[in-house]
Amino acid sequence: MAACRALVSRAVLPLHYHHVCRGVMLTHIREKKRWMKAYTLIMERKRKMEGPPPPKPRSQQPNFDYHAEVEAFSARLQESFSLELLKTAFVNVCYLRSEEERRRALGLDLETTTLNLKDNGELCVHGQQFTKAFLSDWCRGSFPSLPQEGVAAIVGHLTGSEVMCHVARNLAVEDLTMSAEFPVPDEILQGTFFAVIGALEQSSGSVRAGLFIRDFLVTQLIVKDLFDMWKVVDPMGLLVKELTCKGIALPEPRLIRSAGASTVLPLYFVGLYSDRKLLAQGPGETVLAAEEEAARVALRKLYGFTENRRPWDYTAPHEQLQKPSAQALTSE
Amino acid sequence: MGCLLPQSPHCWQWATFARSWFLIDARMQPPGKIASMCSVRLQGKHKPIYHPLSDIGDHVVVMNTRHIAFSGNKWEQKVYSSHTGYPGSFKQLTAAQMHKKDPTAIIKLAVYGMLPKNLTRRTMMQRLHLFPDDVLPEDILKNLTEELPQPREIPRKLSEYTQEERNAFPMLWTPPEDYRMK
Repeated sequence: MAACRALVSRAVLPLHYHHVCRGVMLTHIREKKRWMKAYTLIMERKRKMEGPPPPKPRSQQPNFDYHAEVEAFSARLQESFSLELLKTAFVNVCYLRSEEERRRALGLDLETTTLNLKDNGELCVHGQQFTKAFLSDWCRGSFPSLPQEGVAAIVGHLTGSEVMCHVARNLAVEDLTMSAEFPVPDEILQGTFFAVIGALEQSSGSVRAGLFIRDFLVTQLIVKDLFDMWKVVDPMGLLVKELTCKGIALPEPRLIRSAGASTVLPLYFVGLYSDRKLLAQGPGETVLAAEEEAARVALRKLYGFTENRRPWDYTAPHEQLQKPSAQALTSE
Repeated sequence: MGCLLPQSPHCWQWATFARSWFLIDARMQPPGKIASMCSVRLQGKHKPIYHPLSDIGDHVVVMNTRHIAFSGNKWEQKVYSSHTGYPGSFKQLTAAQMHKKDPTAIIKLAVYGMLPKNLTRRTMMQRLHLFPDDVLPEDILKNLTEELPQPREIPRKLSEYTQEERNAFPMLWTPPEDYRMK
């Protein structure tokens, strides 16, 4: 027993010990097999030549029951999905096409073996519209002074393929999607996730679906900076526009601090003053870069997207969602 | 309300790791106190991101080193010794003699002795700039960030007090009119 444990704890097992599975180790101890070394070395060389094996979808790995997995999916998210809608949401058009191709290739008669599956096109469109509307409302509610382009940029970022695929992969939507290729391409995965949201909305109502989007998509905004999502080319011009709309005096840039001006690594702090009061200050490598950064800081302060803003309260009940204007008044 | 500090990661990093240039006026200051302030800033110990291996010390420019003020009798009693290793080359100089020979040497040796005794010390000494008077070259003047407050409050000479302040000073006893002060 102790010898086994010592062998298991070694990084590489010696030649005649094989892990069959986690609890079982096979040992060829009775006599040393003369073919074992040659075989092991050839398999290693083959593995090195071919590289790692291609990824296999979860449905083709052992111990997979689709119906049970779909039920587990809905239980895990603590949502009551209608299972037919959910199963429809996971079926993509490309899958249906590839299935029909395969059946035709196998020579099966199309009339007797029609696929009774509907694809997730409508659910996808429905879910996408609902998600975008909900996210726009949420943005406008929590950042009332953010202009339309900013809201559109944030919503676009959150419904973009990167964020949605990241969330979908971690919620195991990729394992349940039925698509033609594996690994599932980003657009198809994004479409499937939208379809899941659409299915949720049709099964449990828009309130539950809204809470789902809040808990899984809005949380992806944490630690994100506004200008990472919204590319603004001229922050100073935008700031001047905002201040003229509000009727505040125009900003005047002033150099606050500088360090190492004649060295290779200078630092300048530029502050923007409107009516002799400090709006914001920002650092930069050159005076112009510092001024631009100061304008960005001022914009972040104006739109309420600073790092030290009050974080969104995810524990609050759903009445908050129905009254976005009231929430905007109470939040900072 | 809102945060006035920069938030995008690139600017944070640039501003946090930038090297500042401090100016200290050593007129009428004890060189030891000046040297300890310099050594703290040369090592980077005044920053919360300090680490001995990080090389985040700042530059320090000391001006008016010719006008430093030792307390007590140190100008005559403090001795700087050196030996090159060859026989007969043991030199001992009092602080006054050393200061006459090189007005920046006292502060330089003091800072050198206060820095950590490892290979980073020489780099830190390269970042220390000493000037005997308050004439600074233009490129150093351009680089300066901040002037540090002087460690010692300079006491005023009697000639710097106005007649009103001298009269207002409380006297222990009023001497008679024909009393002669030596």
